[in-house]
Parts: sequence; structure tokens; C-alpha cells
Amino acid sequence: MFFHIVLERNMQLHPRHFGRNLREHLVSKLMKDVEGTCSGRHGFVVAITGVDSIGKGLIRDGTGFVTFPVKYQCVVFRPFKGEILEAVVTMVNKMGFFAEAGPVQIFVSNHLIPDDMEFQSGDMPNYTTSDGSVKIQKDSEVRLKIIGTRVDATEIFCIGTIKDDFLGVINDPTAV
Amino acid sequence: MSLLTDSPVHSSSSDDFAAFLDAELNSNSSASSPVEEDGDDEDESNDEEAEDDNELEGKSVKRCKVEMSANIHEHGSTSHTTLEHKIGKDKSLKIDICTHPGSFGDMCILCGQRLEEESGVTFGYIHKGLRLANDEIVRLRNTDMKNLLRHKKLYLVLDLDHTLLNSTLLAHLTPEEEEYLKSQTDSLQDGSRVNLFKLDFIHMMTKLRPFVHTFLKEASEMFDMYIYTMGDRPYALEMARLLDPNKEYFHAKVISRDDGTQRHQKGLDVVLGQESAVLILDDTENAWTKHKDNLILMERYHYFKSSCRQFGYNCKSLLELGKDENEPGGALASVLKALKQVHSMFFDELGGDLAGRDVRQVLKVVRKEVLKGCKIVFSRVFPTRYQAADHHLWKMAEQLGATCNTELDPSVTHVISTDVGTEKSRWAVKEKKFLVNPQWIEAVNFLWRKLPEENYPVKPTKEE
Repeated sequence: MFFHIVLERNMQLHPRHFGRNLREHLVSKLMKDVEGTCSGRHGFVVAITGVDSIGKGLIRDGTGFVTFPVKYQCVVFRPFKGEILEAVVTMVNKMGFFAEAGPVQIFVSNHLIPDDMEFQSGDMPNYTTSDGSVKIQKDSEVRLKIIGTRVDATEIFCIGTIKDDFLGVINDPTAV
Repeated sequence: MSLLTDSPVHSSSSDDFAAFLDAELNSNSSASSPVEEDGDDEDESNDEEAEDDNELEGKSVKRCKVEMSANIHEHGSTSHTTLEHKIGKDKSLKIDICTHPGSFGDMCILCGQRLEEESGVTFGYIHKGLRLANDEIVRLRNTDMKNLLRHKKLYLVLDLDHTLLNSTLLAHLTPEEEEYLKSQTDSLQDGSRVNLFKLDFIHMMTKLRPFVHTFLKEASEMFDMYIYTMGDRPYALEMARLLDPNKEYFHAKVISRDDGTQRHQKGLDVVLGQESAVLILDDTENAWTKHKDNLILMERYHYFKSSCRQFGYNCKSLLELGKDENEPGGALASVLKALKQVHSMFFDELGGDLAGRDVRQVLKVVRKEVLKGCKIVFSRVFPTRYQAADHHLWKMAEQLGATCNTELDPSVTHVISTDVGTEKSRWAVKEKKFLVNPQWIEAVNFLWRKLPEENYPVKPTKEE
């Protein structure tokens, strides 16, 4: 799920940036530091949409660096247990398949793939129904349900299932 | 419930409905005997006659009945909810007793629960953070086995260094080697024609063994192939890229040192294949102490001088000699032939149940064909007072199908000797038997065929 929230961060800035462009430097450093990172609480920071306020800088003893408390708005992405997500399959093997939804890595075990879908090995491994009408392979798009999440400093892992109503392939790359 | 509140307002219709319900209930409960149905009909006609008392009585009776039915209904629903409760409990129980067949990023792959302790075997080579428990591995192996046998395939685990290729650090190249290689690689832009690659970013020079591309192509039709190397992960992946640029063979099947479960040992526990269907190609026997029966030992491929030195050989490397293994007669071609033989025997010649077959037995049989009919006597090969039958050459000869003997007799075909001066050697010359040096048997073991004996003469010792 996406959220638009306000976060706060203490930014350290090198004295060479002090000048009339200080604000720009601060914002670009903020983007560089924060965008694309994860936090266990908020999830993956997709983009910074605005800077609300920059507090008073505090000069650090000895270094000359200045610390600014910065409040900023950002879009974050965090998967939740029970959430339905759409993801792109990255790897299919006999244990199940791996999929990605942006920064989130999802594993769907073959226990959680409908029983009528069977693994087919080969140079393009896939899960296929017995009549061949539905096929999950690399680059397929699937709709899945998250049953477990773990957010690391840089990555988000999820366990998913497609063994439920209205879940499974939503497009077929071979059909295009 | 709504029935009851409605009844005073539209009494007649509700009564009708109640009657209908009664009829339904009766017919449901008492197997719809015609007599009772008749009685019900009479009741209905009574209702319609509209005698007050009767009606009241009838109503009260109906009410009772409706209430009863409501009760029944309620009861039913409550029982239903209790059932649901039960199912819910079962579910929670199920989650509690989930066997956690494996984990991904420390979460169970089945129930999504966070797992505290790490258990099972890591499969980092398939995907980061993936672990599987032993039961799950067994289950996967079984299902995969069926799948594979249907495609008439077996597993093949390949070693990299000295088996499929030879690598050296750039720093270990001698100046002459560098000179020569420069002339080689400069003349051909990317080195792919001579199978020589300079990998600057890992400071390595790699030479692929001749015939390796054909080998992989043909082997891939018979085997599901894995790479298993003692090198580290980036090196293994880089080599896999050289061997398999289109990622046809080794997709997510590259196992490196970091993935093994034991130090300095290779094990089939991280290979998702049943041991009875796995063949291994490696140049180091000691790495596979637990799986010797699956192993096909390869002759080491030494292209660079540093690799010879590494093993303490004083011989000249292929590069120094300015030549290479020849393609059709080289080690890989010979082994491919043996693999084909094993494969066809496994699928076509063996009778009985496919799942019950064991490739290790087949390998033994094929190996036994190589020197079938040979009777070998060793002379001055084993140290004195050494149990001859324990020597590795003796065992090797027996595995290759030869019979070994300690004493001479007319049926002996080969005398393996290190010295022409021994009694047995002289006997061999006199009786026109083959007299070969011990390298012959080793070469036969590597190349899977009886080699011309003349190429392995016993040289006279210096004193003579």
C-alpha cells in the first residue's frame, strides 16, 4: 500500500555548501540519501514530494559540519499481510516462483500455487494448468496475496500465495 | 424472527407462509408419507374456515411450530457457527503446527510466520535468503525426479577448474606466457575462437577446455546440469557466463564454495536431485568423499604453468608446449561418450521400474566394460609388503573390469611394470604379452577406452 506521510531527518551538510544554494543542496542530498531506502516502520521510500520545513542548523564541534532537522513529505510503499499485490515474475523453479513489485521481493511456494498447476522444466520453466490455458513463467504478471512480510534496511521480503479466488496470472507475456 | 414480528400485520399471508413452512418441515423431517400430508391439508382447510377459537388455537399451534422451526433454525445456525469455530480452531492449529518446510527471508514459505531459529539447508544459489528443510528437499527431489525421468534426463554436476576450464591469476603468468597470449588474443578480437578470455575485473585469465561447448550442448540433452565449484560466487558466475552465454544450461544452478554445507567438501545435499540419478564430473576425488560412486574422475586440464605448479607437477603446461588437447580424442569427448552410454543403458536397456534404477550401478557396469577380458599382473608397482589388493591402481583396474593377479599364468594379458628388468617384465616380453607402465591404466580410467599399449612402454632404468 502507498502512503503519503511526513517524515523527519537530521541532515549533515558540509560547510562548502553554505551559500545561497544551501537549501537546494540540502534537498538534493536528502533525495539522494532517502529515496530508495527502506525502514521497517514505513517501508520503501518511493519519492520525496516536498520539504515542509528546515530547522535551525547546529554546528558540530571539530568538523564544521552542520546538522539540520528537515521535515519532508514523501510517498512510501509498504506491503501488509493480507494485502493483494500485483507483481512481475522474475524466476520460476520447482520450489515455486519469485516475483517483484517494485523493491519488494515476493516468494510464492509451490504449496501456495493451485494444485492443478504443475511445474514444467525446460529452458523456460513454468507452472501450467493441465489444459494449458494458464501459464506462469518469467515476466508474467500475477496478482497475489501477501501472507508474510519482513522489511530490512535495504530490502523487503514477502511470502505470497495465489491459492485463493481471483488470484493468479493477469496477463500472458507469450500472448502479446 | 422477522416472521414473528410480521405476523400480526399481514396475518393471513404470514399464516400461509407458516403453513408452507410447516409443510416443508414435515415433508423434510418425516420422509413425506402421504397420510401426514393429507392431515396437513386438512389443517389448512380448517384455517381457511376461520372459526375464531380454532383460528387462535391454530395460530398458537402455528406460532409454536414457527417458533420451534425458528429455534431449529437458530439451533442450526448456532451449530453452524460452532462448526465454524471448530474450523477456525483447526486452522489456527494448523498454523501452529505448520511444519515450516522452508523459509524465505526468515519467513516460513507456507504460513508466512517469522521464524526465529535458522534451520535446514540454505539455497543461496537459487535466490538470496532461501532455505529449505530436509523433508521439503526430499519431497522436491521426488517430484522433480518424476518430472526428469519423463523427459529422459538425469542430473550432472560439473566442476569448473581443471575439468571444464583452466584459470590463472594475471599476476601468475610468466612473461613468455603473457607474450604468447597477447599475440593470441590480439589476433582474435574477443578470444572466443580460441576460448581464451582475459577478465580484467577479477584479474584472471581463463582458458576453456577444447570441446567444452559441444560437450555442454550434447550433455544438456541428456542431463539437468549443475555447476559446483570450490571457487567463490562471483568467479563461479563469471565462468558460467563464459560457458553458457545464453543462460540455457545453468540458470540458477551454479553452486559455489559459499553455498556448500561443509568446508572443503562438496556434497549433493544442496543439489535438488536424488542421489541415485546424479553423476558428478570432477578432477578432485577427495572433494566428494561421500559420493564416490557418483563420481567420474576427470584428467586435470593444465593449460597455464601456474596451475601445474599448484599441484606440484614439474611437467610443461600445454601453453608452454604451444598446443592444446585435441578435440575429438580429448578427455571431454571421451567422457561424453561414456555419459551417453550410461544414459542409454539407464533408460533403454535396464528393465523394471524407472524410479528404482540407480545410475551408480549403471556407471559401475559401463566402467567394467572398458578393460573387460584383461588379466593384469603388477610388477614393481606396489611397495613391498603392501597389501596389493588395497592399492588404488589395483582397485582402479578391477573397477575397469580387469582381473588382477599376483602370480603369472598363461591367461595374463597385461603386465604393468615400472622396470623392464623384473622377472615378470622379462616374462611378458618373452611370452609376447603387453608390457605397459602404470600411466596406461590411469589414462584408460580417464578416457574410458582401452588405449594402444605401444604408447605406454616401460622405459629401461638408468643403471641398465
